Amino acid sequence: MGFLSRLAEIMGFKKKEANLLVIGLDNSGKTTIIDQLKPEDKRSRDVAPTVGFTVDRFKNNSLQFTAFDMSGQGRYRNLWEHYFKNCDGIIFVLDSSDKLRMAVAKDELDQALKHEDIMKRRIPILFFANKMDLRESMTSVRCSMVMELEKSIRDKPWHICSSNAKTGEGLHEGFEWLTDTLKSMLNDK
Amino acid sequence: MHMLRRDKKEEEDGGGNPFHNIEKSSVLQEARTFNESPINPRKCAHILTKVLYLINQGEQIGTTEATEAFFAMTKLFQAKDPILRRLVYLGIKEMSKIAQDVIIVTSSLMKDMTGREDQFRGPAIRALCSITDTTMLQSIERYMKQAIVDKVNAVSSAALVSSLHLSKCSQDVTKRWVNEAQEAVSSDNIMVQYHALGLLYHIRKYDRLAVTKLVTKFSKHSLKSPYAYCLLVRLCYCLLEILCFVYFIRTDSPMFDFIENCLRHKSEIVIYEAAHAIVNLKNTSAKELASAVPVLQLFCSSAKPTLRFAAIRTLNKVAMKHPAAVTACNLELENLITDSNRSIATLAITTLLKTGSESSIDRLMKQISSFMNEISDEFKIVVIQAIQSLCSKFPRKHPVLMNFLSSVLRDEGGFEYKKAIVDSIITIIEDNPEAKEAGLAHLCEFIEDCEHTVLATKILHLLGREGPRTPTPSKYIRFIYNRVILENAAVRAATVTALAKFGAHCEELLPSCIVLLERCLLDTDDEVRDRATFYVQTLKQQQKSLKSTYILNGLQVSVVGLERALHHYTMEPTETPFDVKSVPLETAPITDSKQVREPGEAGGQKTEKVAASRQDIYAEQLSSIPEFANLGNLFKSSSLPVQLTESETEYVVQCVKHTFSHYIVFQFDCSNTLNDQVLENVTVHMEPADGFQVLKCVPCASLPYNKPGTTYTLVHLPEDPTLVTGTFSCTLKFIVKDCDPNTGEPDDEGYEDEYVLEDVEVSVADHVQRVMKPNFGVSWEEVGLENELEDTYALSTMKTLEEAVQNIIKFMGMQPCERSDKVPEGKSSHTLYLAGVYRGGHDGLVRAKLALSDAGVTMQLTVRSTDPDVSEVMATAIG
Repeated sequence: MGFLSRLAEIMGFKKKEANLLVIGLDNSGKTTIIDQLKPEDKRSRDVAPTVGFTVDRFKNNSLQFTAFDMSGQGRYRNLWEHYFKNCDGIIFVLDSSDKLRMAVAKDELDQALKHEDIMKRRIPILFFANKMDLRESMTSVRCSMVMELEKSIRDKPWHICSSNAKTGEGLHEGFEWLTDTLKSMLNDK
Repeated sequence: MHMLRRDKKEEEDGGGNPFHNIEKSSVLQEARTFNESPINPRKCAHILTKVLYLINQGEQIGTTEATEAFFAMTKLFQAKDPILRRLVYLGIKEMSKIAQDVIIVTSSLMKDMTGREDQFRGPAIRALCSITDTTMLQSIERYMKQAIVDKVNAVSSAALVSSLHLSKCSQDVTKRWVNEAQEAVSSDNIMVQYHALGLLYHIRKYDRLAVTKLVTKFSKHSLKSPYAYCLLVRLCYCLLEILCFVYFIRTDSPMFDFIENCLRHKSEIVIYEAAHAIVNLKNTSAKELASAVPVLQLFCSSAKPTLRFAAIRTLNKVAMKHPAAVTACNLELENLITDSNRSIATLAITTLLKTGSESSIDRLMKQISSFMNEISDEFKIVVIQAIQSLCSKFPRKHPVLMNFLSSVLRDEGGFEYKKAIVDSIITIIEDNPEAKEAGLAHLCEFIEDCEHTVLATKILHLLGREGPRTPTPSKYIRFIYNRVILENAAVRAATVTALAKFGAHCEELLPSCIVLLERCLLDTDDEVRDRATFYVQTLKQQQKSLKSTYILNGLQVSVVGLERALHHYTMEPTETPFDVKSVPLETAPITDSKQVREPGEAGGQKTEKVAASRQDIYAEQLSSIPEFANLGNLFKSSSLPVQLTESETEYVVQCVKHTFSHYIVFQFDCSNTLNDQVLENVTVHMEPADGFQVLKCVPCASLPYNKPGTTYTLVHLPEDPTLVTGTFSCTLKFIVKDCDPNTGEPDDEGYEDEYVLEDVEVSVADHVQRVMKPNFGVSWEEVGLENELEDTYALSTMKTLEEAVQNIIKFMGMQPCERSDKVPEGKSSHTLYLAGVYRGGHDGLVRAKLALSDAGVTMQLTVRSTDPDVSEVMATAIG
């Protein structure tokens, strides 16, 4: 590392980096959310089900994010754990219109929380109650009750907000919270 | 200069390799660095290179370790560094076979494949195809189709080649990409065109008609890529081979014209490929060669060593079949002997040896000896084989050639090289009786200082067989006995056997041989001691029959069969002693004496091995069928299957006959070439000849398209021992069910049908097993006059003695002994000795005295056997 960059680091100018892990059930809108965060000219028009994962980088305020967008399909969910180790934050996307599979989502969340790479670390978790535009969708409060977030996450900061990934509504609010939390945690270190 | 020298030295030490002493465990430990963030591309690239190095060195990495490293590697996708990314692609390809859950990178690779960075797209396609299996293929199909017609050449080529690899396991999906591949063939880029043509061929390769169409289409259409032309020439070559083989179409087809036109192409590689194809066609005539050889001749004086090498190598092959055609190039070839490239020089000289005349041999041999120790063993073997074939061509030159062989035998060289020399000498000895003494003397000298046990035992065995029959057998004894004192146990054992053979064969040497053998009685090795004791006791009995059975003739049963019989015997202990007669005899490998042994064709020995064990395979198959469990031991299986149908008919049936002591089992191998039919309950109905009785049929339950099936028919042999031959008319009976050609799903209803086959004949040869009697004279005396039959025949249809000998061997189904199947040239009379064992274990010996006359060949046939009926049957075999 060069002298200048070290100087910049000491002065606090250096752009901070954070790894995010984007998980959630299939068809909940993970890839669409990440796509929405990229600059307009780099977005891909059609989103196909992810197989495995994709890596994306984007900037939000002063933080540089690297997002591992994981596939939500049942048979790939057990591969999430390979990426738990180095993430600085988790984004868990819920399909708020899919009441039936809320229980499945809860199950997956509980399993992730129980994993040793997550359990011991105090990492922020951001929930998006996605697809708020659909008529049968639940509010964010209702979602957090169904998911029993209060009960299951005790030692980590978390936040839930409603979103519509297609238009980008609500995403900004969520990332504002995530950026602030991450920044304060980085400064505490 | 100084630097250069140091580099060279380092290379020699092996210090030039920076990965010289890396260890798997530490590298895998280092690979955890990939998980860190932010990523350090330079460091990670270095570690990944080490991982790749290890895998390519053949290091075995366990699934768990590999999976861990693989997932760590996937994190490197977040780095944009191009070097690191391309290493990641390589890593994915290498680990795709050893790690689990590799599909995790599918979406990441698909993103790169369709992304903007052109230099990532090609490698991403290749990596993606290596992790994709048939079930996942559908999801990438759309992208693959787009990539094939991409305007970036590297991407298009990558997609085409990857599709080719995919088509190995998922033919159906890649078939749908034909249109895209067609479009890519018209690309301007030479590689894309070549790869596209390759893919088109691979999609159609199982459909000969479609391949023909493809070739015809593109041979008219002018392609730009020389590589595509080469591929077309190769395809034409394959098609022509098939055409010649199946339909006997001569070379005046448009495809041959195309190949010939390629001889005038502007690219050298195409010209060479065309010449190579013409030369290699199985039945090329001198006329066709005349167009190809001048091209090769021109290449011989090219400035490029690769072209010279290619040309001389091809000419060398031509020289084996058509030496006359190559004679025109002799001048160029002589120039190439002094070529600075030793491989070219060797090939030139071996080619000259093949084309050269008797008078030029001495000069050539001198030139060869001058550079023999400058070339590698591999080429030395080529030279040796050329000399061997030369010796059979010009038998009168054997002293020069033999001298050369013995001098190279003294030189340094590896096992393969020495083995080639020894084999050559042995072949020369066997073919040319005049060379025998000199050859044996050279071999004796060689074993004095031979470090290869295998060769020493081989030579000792040969000495034991040939030595006693030379005019002065005593001179070999010293060489042989020296081995007992100096060599290891395996050689000593072979020596003891060789000595015993001398003793058994030569009366006057018997006492001294016994003395020498008695000295071996106290050998340190069990095997040597056992052999010596056995031979001393046998020789002391002074009985001819004992000597011939236990020393001269050796064990004649099949080794695999003996093992099985002994195993069976020990599993079910009985009071009766083990009977060697119950073991199936070894099938003597059938070698066509007419066949010219071509140097460089190492196939000869391999086929012999297969032939020897094939009967054992049949025995195993038959014994697993419950109906045939109690037929006794398999006596003989007919050597080659007999075709009962034409080769291009709806159903193809061939027959193999298995003879037991009282039964014959006919094995019918059937296959169905109609893809819209399934045959069920397939049997062969046989109309028996006099005295034969059909007992049972074992049907083949179902015979789907292109899957061979087998049905058996069991026939009881006539009680009358002299009634052994007959003709059976056969009909294939079955139930036909129509089916869908694609799925193979048959309809429920079928109807009965039958198909007439050609007749099957049972001849005397089916009842006789070939047995080699190394010493025919002794065996002839041993069987005695008791059941002798003699008769004289006039074989009016035979024009030469060779023809008569071949036919007699075929009719009798017996083994020619004492090399009597080779008729010396220019003789008008010949004696053929045949030996065999008749069904039931009776020895049968035949002596046929042949004389050539104006009205064909006259034969006096004498049959001796241990059983009167057998003599009678054998005497009637020729009629």
